[in-house]
Amino acid sequence: MWVYIVRRLLLSIPILLGIVAITFLLFCFIAPDPAVAYAGKQKTPEQLAAIRHQLGTDQPKWEQFVNILTFQFPLSLRYRESVWTLFRLKAPVSLAIQAPAFFIELALQMAIALFVAWKRATFWDYGITFISVLGISVPALSLYLAAQWIFGGWLQWFPVAGWSPGFFYALHYAVLPILVSVIVGLGGGVRFYRTIALEEINADYVRTAHAKGVSQSEVLFTHVLRNLMIPVVTQTIVTLPLLFTGAVLLERLFQIPGFGNLLVDAIHSQDQPVVMFITYSTSVIYLVMLIVTDILYTLVDPRVSLQ
Amino acid sequence: MTEFSDQIILPEQGQSAGVAVSLESPRSLGGEAWRRIVRKPATFICLIVVAAYVCVSLLTFTPIFDKRIEEPLSADKSYAPPALHHTWPDGTTTLAPACWFGLDFEGRSVFWRVLYGTRTALLITVFASAISLSIGAALGLLAGYFGGWIDDLITWLFSTVSSIPWLLMVIALAWVIQNNQSLNAGAAPSRLEVIFGGTTSIILALGFTDWVGLCRLIRGEVLRLRDLDFVVAARAIGLGHGRILFRHILPNTFHLVIITFSLGAVSYVQVEVILAFLGLGVTSKPSWGRMIDDSKLELLRGVWWEVTAATVAIFILCLALNILGDALRDALDPKLHGAR
Repeated sequence: MWVYIVRRLLLSIPILLGIVAITFLLFCFIAPDPAVAYAGKQKTPEQLAAIRHQLGTDQPKWEQFVNILTFQFPLSLRYRESVWTLFRLKAPVSLAIQAPAFFIELALQMAIALFVAWKRATFWDYGITFISVLGISVPALSLYLAAQWIFGGWLQWFPVAGWSPGFFYALHYAVLPILVSVIVGLGGGVRFYRTIALEEINADYVRTAHAKGVSQSEVLFTHVLRNLMIPVVTQTIVTLPLLFTGAVLLERLFQIPGFGNLLVDAIHSQDQPVVMFITYSTSVIYLVMLIVTDILYTLVDPRVSLQ
Repeated sequence: MTEFSDQIILPEQGQSAGVAVSLESPRSLGGEAWRRIVRKPATFICLIVVAAYVCVSLLTFTPIFDKRIEEPLSADKSYAPPALHHTWPDGTTTLAPACWFGLDFEGRSVFWRVLYGTRTALLITVFASAISLSIGAALGLLAGYFGGWIDDLITWLFSTVSSIPWLLMVIALAWVIQNNQSLNAGAAPSRLEVIFGGTTSIILALGFTDWVGLCRLIRGEVLRLRDLDFVVAARAIGLGHGRILFRHILPNTFHLVIITFSLGAVSYVQVEVILAFLGLGVTSKPSWGRMIDDSKLELLRGVWWEVTAATVAIFILCLALNILGDALRDALDPKLHGAR
C-alpha cells in the first residue's frame, strides 16, 4: 500500500513540473508585458520599471520559474495584498456557497439517478432523462439570470444579489445562489449517474440477488448503491478544488465576494499575479485531489490491484 | 499487394464452393449510423435543426445581414418590446420581422442579431474543433501506435493539461491572447480578422485546451487495434507506418472523432457565453453570449426579450446537438449498444 502511495506521488512530480511549465509559458512568455497591460500605455518608463520590479518580471526567467514552483507570487497589483491573504479572505465565502450546494446536489443526483434506473424504460425514465437533457442545453448564465429575475425581482422571496458577513445574514443571501447552482448541476449529474447505475443494474450480482429473493429496494440501496459509490468517489473528489474556486459566473452575478469573483476582478483590472495564482493553485489542488482519488479508489474497490 | 485481403473474400470463390453469397454490399458502420438517425423522427428533426442553423450561419457571410444588424429602428435608439408590426419614419405600418424579438439598447433588431449569432457559433465550433480534434487525433494515434518514449511523452502531456481545470485554462488562455491583441490594436485589421470578427482568442483558447479527451480515447482504441489481425497483416505485407496509421487505424477510430465533435460543439457554444460574460468574448460582431451579457442588467427592469431570444437560440441548438450526439454515440460505439 505505502509503496503504491509513494510511487503515485513520485509519478506526479513530472506532472507538477508540467503545470508549472504551462503556467510559466502562458504568463511569462505568451502574455504581453503585464506592467504595460496594467498601467496602460501612457505611463513613464520609471513607473513601468517600478511595476515590473514589484511583479518580479525584471528577474531572470529561471528565477520566475522557481518562484512559481515554490508558490512565491508577487503582491496583487490591485489590492496591494499578498495573494495568500486574498485566498484566506475569499475562499471561506466561496466555500459557504459551494459546499452546501455540492452536498445537496450530490444527494439529489444520486437519488434521482437511482429512481430513474429503478424505473428504467418507463415513462418516468424517459421523462426525467429528457428533462435532464433540456437542463444541460440551457446556458447556465441564463438560468442564473432567470432565477434572479423570478425569485429576487418578481416574487421577492430572496435578495437579488449581495453578501454580508455573519452566519444568519449570509444565509439570507446564500439561499438563492445555492438553490440555483443545485438546479444547474442537476441535469448532467443525473444523466451521468443514470448511465452508471444502469450498468450496475445489468450486472450479474444483481440478477443473483433477485434470484435469491432479495427485494427490489434492498437490491437498489444495499447492493447497487454500494457499487455505485466507486464511480461517485472518483467523479466527485476531483471536483472538490472547484469548490474553493467557486462558480465564477454565479459569484459575479450574485455579487458574492468569493474566489470566483476575485478572478473576474483580476481579469478586468489586468491583475496578473492574481490570475496566475488562481490558475496555478487550483491546478495544484486539483492534482492533489487526483492523487487522493487514485489512492481512495484502491481502498474502495478491492478489485483494483496496487500494481 | 494491398488487394491481398480482398482476394480471400472474392464472391466467385464462395459461389464455386456452392455457398450462396449475397452480392449486396454489407453496410458500413457509418451507413448504419446514418440510417438509424434518419429513421428515428426525433433524431431526424434534430439533424434538420442543426442543418438549418448551419444554413443561416452560411448566409451571414453574404452582405444581406450587414445593414440589418446595425440599423437603429426605434426613434429614441433604445429598447423596444417585441411587436408584430413596425411604423416606419414615413408613417406606413407594415409587418416587420425585424421587430418580432424586440429591439436592443441601441434600437437594433434583436431578430437579425440572433440570426447573426449563428455565425459566431459556427466559426467557434468549426475552427476550435478543427484545432482540438487534429491535435487530439494526431497525438492519440502516435502515442497508441508507437508506444515507448513517444507514448510516455504524450501521456505526460495530456496528464498535465488535464490536471488544470478546463474552464480555468480556457479563461486564462483567452485572457492572455486577448491582452496580446489589445496591445497590438491600432493596426488596420486584416481580411482574415474581419471574417473572424474577434473570435480568434476564443477559438485558440478552446482549440489548444480541449484535445485531451479525444487524445486519451484514441490512444486507448489504438492500443487495442494495434495487435488485431488486420494491422498485423498490414505490417506483415510490408506497409509503411504512415499508410497503416492513416488508411487502416485512423478510419477505425473515426467514430470517436465524430462523437467528440458533436458533444464538443455544445460545450463550445456554452463557453462562449461564459467568456462573453467575463468580457473575453467577441467584441465586434453580434454573438449570443454578448447579447445575454449586454442586457443582463436590464432584465430586472423588464427587458426580457434580448436575453430570452439569445437563450432560446442556444437552447435549441444545444438540445439538437445533445440528442444527435447521444444518438451518434449509440449508433457508432457498438460497445454501448446493449446499454440502452
